[in-house]
Formats: sequence, structure tokens, C-alpha cells
Amino acid sequence: MKRMIAVLLCLSFMLLPWVAQAQADKFGLDDVPKIQNTKPITMVLETGEGYSRMLPAIEAFTKKTGVKVNVERIASSGVYGKENVELMAGTGYYDLVYVETSWTTEWSDYLYDLDELANKYDPGKAAALQKELAFMAPSILMCGKAYGKQMVLPFYTFDMCMWVRQDVFDDPTEKANFKKKYGYDLKPATTEKELKDQGEFFTRKKGELLKGKPLTHDIYGLSMQAGAYQCNDETSARLWARGQDWVTVVRDDKGNIKEFVITKANKEALKAALQDYKDELKYDSPSAITANFDFVVAQMGNGNAIICPTIWANCTVWADGILREKVPGAKIGVYPSPGGRPYTGAWSYGIAKASKNPEAAYWLLRYLTSYECAQIIFKEGGMVPARVDLMTEVAKDKNNYPYAMLADYHINIWKTMAPHIPNYWYFNTKAGGKVYDMQIYAVSKALTGEMTIDQTVESITKQTLELTSKFDKIPIREEK
Amino acid sequence: MGRHASADFSMGPAGVESGAQTKRGRRPTIWETLTNERNFRWTLVVPLLVLLVIFAFYPLFYSMYFSFHDWGMQGSPVFSGLRNYRQLVHDTTFWVAFGRTIEVLVICITIELLLGLGVALLWNREFKGQNIVRGLALLPLLVAPLTLSLLWYFLLDFNFGAVNQLLGAMGFDKVYWWAPNKALFTICFITIWQWFPFSAFVLLAGLKSLPKDVFEAARVDGGSSFYTFRRLTLPMLSPLIMIIIVLRAMWLIRLMDPLFGTTRGAVNTELLDWIVYRTGFVMFDIGYGSAMAVVSWAATMVLCLIMFRQLMNSMRAGR
Repeated sequence: MKRMIAVLLCLSFMLLPWVAQAQADKFGLDDVPKIQNTKPITMVLETGEGYSRMLPAIEAFTKKTGVKVNVERIASSGVYGKENVELMAGTGYYDLVYVETSWTTEWSDYLYDLDELANKYDPGKAAALQKELAFMAPSILMCGKAYGKQMVLPFYTFDMCMWVRQDVFDDPTEKANFKKKYGYDLKPATTEKELKDQGEFFTRKKGELLKGKPLTHDIYGLSMQAGAYQCNDETSARLWARGQDWVTVVRDDKGNIKEFVITKANKEALKAALQDYKDELKYDSPSAITANFDFVVAQMGNGNAIICPTIWANCTVWADGILREKVPGAKIGVYPSPGGRPYTGAWSYGIAKASKNPEAAYWLLRYLTSYECAQIIFKEGGMVPARVDLMTEVAKDKNNYPYAMLADYHINIWKTMAPHIPNYWYFNTKAGGKVYDMQIYAVSKALTGEMTIDQTVESITKQTLELTSKFDKIPIREEK
Repeated sequence: MGRHASADFSMGPAGVESGAQTKRGRRPTIWETLTNERNFRWTLVVPLLVLLVIFAFYPLFYSMYFSFHDWGMQGSPVFSGLRNYRQLVHDTTFWVAFGRTIEVLVICITIELLLGLGVALLWNREFKGQNIVRGLALLPLLVAPLTLSLLWYFLLDFNFGAVNQLLGAMGFDKVYWWAPNKALFTICFITIWQWFPFSAFVLLAGLKSLPKDVFEAARVDGGSSFYTFRRLTLPMLSPLIMIIIVLRAMWLIRLMDPLFGTTRGAVNTELLDWIVYRTGFVMFDIGYGSAMAVVSWAATMVLCLIMFRQLMNSMRAGR
């Protein structure tokens, strides 16, 4: 026994330097050098309890560096308008700006190239920054590039996924009944056809059976967010799943963007995606047409829905917490949305060119996106950072539900999406933010029947052409 | 001029010594200059004019300027001629919103007036607890419209809303109040619920001020209640009714709060000001948003001018 303890101790001592080395390789608060410019800086932090967990870390930054950080709390829906005005006017009010990745190119003229700042302020120059980026998800980093330059670093990601009620999908009675009705096994849908079947199968009235027990309320097979807020992300996932996009990015032989084209294939795919979405709304609550992600979380959490085909994975911890409280024994399973190319993006931080203290802003950005802060935002805030190193570590402990499941999902989906991201239109145009907001309304009009699908596609095409011609220098045309 | 000239100590042409000196030979103070009888009317008006120029005319003309440019807040505005207006002519979404705004205007004003008149007639009679009832009726007007619309949004929620819970308890099916074919009416309902007491109070004030002897004479002549209401009450209230129509029309054209709190312009509820707001301040297509705002402003002006003319006619007739 003594020998065994001795061996273990020896092993620990041998491993300790290795573990310490691995940690030391990652940038942390201790690695922030003395900051010369100590003028206070201002940053945006989203409203919400999860994000509040970052406040002590920000205070720790101030304690270490002597740089006061003013934290402005803004709901994510208000960020674009607020920051857009300050950035365009060059007020320098925000030093660290909060950026939805699809705005990166649009704002690229007003943000610092991070390599440039690293060369100026980092003792290890740009190489030190690049070394740190090696720990982050390549697909997410690509979303934060403009014209090949890294403009922002991800704070947390919002890759989409599909939720299923895992306990229902694993139930033998449900499995047998499904197979009997549809002739194939019940498993998380990979196609729209399977999703429609499952939506129909699980839409049940009060009194009918679920897992062999009578329901005390109606349930819906599906839960989606067709309200005029972010139904365009759901539509992007459906378009991307078809190998299409809103607009096709055309490059020359050198890889530079030559033009944008709204191809016939783009339009046909959009029509099909909207038709599928509309068909699936039959298996959803009537409220879906005005719903946003909070509604979908509530539907899943309260046991009112069985599948959410397109939802941001970073809402999983939230929904799962409610579900386990409201429906004992219930559990969420996370899978890629049907077609396997869910919408991808992140809330990131960049540094305003008008900042009066880019030095401190650079180091705060590095710290907020570091391993240390990623742990806080994931394990305390429930949001998913873009750190492969952290995810890999968490994924190893399979019993750590739902974190291990989420980590595993992200590692895989980041790999899947990496080859496609560089060519998606949102991440290559300066009109992305404007078109995105236009699409929110246009898509919702198709889903509620205010416009036909053909009219909607025509309207989106027309408005995309107009907005891109106005706000981007890269030419755009429609393939007739 | 003559009436004022004798008391004029100011610097005007009628004033002595080129306005540089008072009768006592000293220069008037700024206060004296501003408050003398000749200048006082302008002294009162100028601050208002300055505020109007800063806060109304300048933005209006700046908006007109932008409407001929493309600008997304980056760099300088680029002159685009009539491009934004051409785009607007073919923008069905805008015109649908325009038509819908007129629809809301007609529905809300009609119902608010009918309800307001009915309530005012009831309140015009003496009854126990009338002060409490009138006080309670004031409550909706005292709540911020956005708060009120959020409250109704939750009350009318399909799954958890109190209204549907109540309907369920009474054995009825739940209603999805925000369905595309109902949402606009739900918005109208919230607006009417908040604003019909305004009509009621204005009309009650009108009813209270009507001359009693005329009604007494009509009663002596054997006129029925309906006859006196149709031939006396309504005509005498018509200037007030027109004032309500004009005021409510101006407010309703700018209706935003119930949309913010509920549908955010989805499910067939996008109204004129919402579309201007979202184009200009959500998408930051400032040029196009300005063109929309200019057209919206022009339409409002035309509408208001027509209604003002009606109001004046009605007031002259009432006199």
C-alpha cells in the first residue's frame, strides 16, 4: 500500500509541472503586463444574470492593472443601434465594443486589426496573440474576420443546435409506436421529412399518452421562433443545410471577392426552406408566430414541446434547468439541426479605433476571451465560449450533464462548419447588419401568411440588392 | 402705432435718438428693450420660435436633405437624387403599413368616440360613487402606454395569460389574440381601452356646459330623449367631437408603444411610424428612412389640414 502511495505521489510530482505548463501556456490575468495608459475604459456587457458573473473578473482586471472599467449593461437587441451610432460618429465612448459576428465586416473600418494592437502592446507581438487563437474554434474565429484580418475575438458563441426531449426519444413505447406508424426508427431528425414526421407524431392533446402516461396538457411536436426577431437565423440554418445561402459570394482566382450574386438556386432554396418552416408550424403552438428564443426555452422547459429544431445551444443550460424542475426525469439532448449546418456566430469583443485607451482595451479583450474567463462564462453563466481547450477538457467527463454534452456538440459542430464559414455572405459584406434586420421582418411575413412565399423571396431579393448597393462597395446582382 | 408711440421708450424708428437713448438720456437696459410695449409680443414669441426652429424645423429640413441621399452613418451622405422616393413608390410594405395606419385610425377613433359618448352620457347623471368611478376611469390614462401594452401582452398570452385562463375556466377554447387575423384588432383594443376615457371626459365636460333651458324647452315641446339627443346634444357637442377626432388622429398616426410592447410590427401590425423607425434606426438606412418620414409627415399634414378645416366649420356652425 505504501509503495502504491509512493508511486502515485511520484506520478503526481511528475505530472504537476506538465499540468502547470499546460496552464501556463494559456494567457491569464497574471500575464497582463504593466499598462502604461491607465485612462478608464468603457465596455458593453449584456443584461442578464449569467453575464453578471463576469463582473468580479472585470473588477479583478482593474485591481491588477489600475485601469477602471465602466461596464454598460445593454440587452443584446439594443447593442447594434447604440454602438453603431458611437462607432460611426467616432466618439470613442466605447473602447471595447460588443460585436455580433455578422457585423464585423460592416464595422471593420472603425475597429482595430487585433494583430496591429498585439504588435504594438504585446511583448510577444502578434505571434503571442496567434498562439492564443490556436485554442479557439477556427469556425468562430473566421466569423470575426474582415478581409482576412482578425477584428474581434469571441466572448461566447451562439451556434445553433436541435433540442430533443431525450427521455421521450429513449422511451421504448414511443420508439415502438413511432416505428409502427412511420416505418423507421425514432432518432433525432437529420432531414426535414423526419422532422415533419416527428412533429406530427408528438403533437398530442391533453389526455393522450406520452411515455405511457396521460398528458395533463396539450403538447406540441415542435417549438420554433417565427416571431419578427430572429427567425432569419432559423432560415439561414435551413438554407445552409441545403448547401445554399441568401447570396452567393463569387471569388476570383486569387480568392478575392469579385461580386455577390443572388442566384436562382439561392432563391429556390429560400422558397423551399420557408415552405418547410411553414409546414412545420402546424405542429407548433399558435404562439410560435410571435415567439422568440425565450418562448422556445419556456416551451421546452415547461414540457410543452418535444423538439426545438433550431435553437441556440447557449440556451441549453437555461432550458434544461427549467425542464428538470418542471418535469421530473426529463432531459434535453443536443444534436445538429436537420441538414447538419446550423447557424453559427458569436458575441465578440473588438476595439474601437476611436478608443482613447486601446492598450488597456486590448488587454481587457485578451482577458475576457481567455481560458480563465471562458471557464466563468461557461460554468457559472451557462454560455458557451469558443475555447476548444476548455470544451475538450469538459467533454471528457461524460457524467457532467449538460456541460459535457454541450462541449462535445460544439467541438464537433465547429469542425463541421469550419470549411463553410469563410464563404457565407453575412461574414463577407458590409451590408450584413442592415440586411439581417430587414430579413427578420421579411421572413416573418412569409411565416405568418402576411405575404406569400414567392412575394417574400421577391421582396428579400429586392431589398438585399438595394441595401447592398447602398452600403457595400462589392457589386451585387440578381441571376435572372 | 399711435397708441403705443407716446409710451415708447425703445429703440424703434418711432423712438427718439435712433433708439440709443431713453428720454432721460441713458441707454435702455436689455430688460427694458425686451419688455417695452412695442417689443414685448416678440419677446414672448421668439423663444418659442427658436425652440421650434431647433427642434422641429431643423430636423424636418435635415430629414428632407437626407431623403435625397444614401447614408448608413458611415462616411458622408452620398447624393442619390430621387432614388429613395422611387424605391418608396414601389415599396408595398410601406404602403400596406400606410393603409393599415388609416384602418387603425378609423377603428380606434370611431369606437373611442362611441364608447366615450356612451360613458359621458351615463356619467352625466348623478349616481352614487361617481367620483370613484371617474377616478378609476382615469387610471389607464395615467399608465405609460408601453407598460400598459406589456401588461396586456402577458394578460393575453396564449398559454399562460389570465384572459385565456378565464376563458378556459368558463369552458371556452383558448384564443390566440396575436394571430395574424386578430393582432391588429388586439392592438386597437389596447389603444381604445387606454384612450376612450379621454373622449369620455372631454364629452362629459361638454355635456355639463350645455344650456339647460334649451333642453327644458324641447322637453316642454314634447321632444323625445332620442330627438333631443340627435337634434340638440350632438350638434352642440360637434366642435368637441371634432377636437377629439383631430387630436386622436394626430396621436394615432404616431402609434408606436403598443407595437413595442407586443408584436414589434409582426403579424400584420406594422404601422407607418414603426416602419420609419425600423428603417431609420434599426437598419440605419437613414436616407430611405428619411424619405419614408417625409412622406409620412406630408400625409399627416394633409390629413390634419382637412380635419382642422372641418373643426373650424363645425365650431362656426356651433357658434
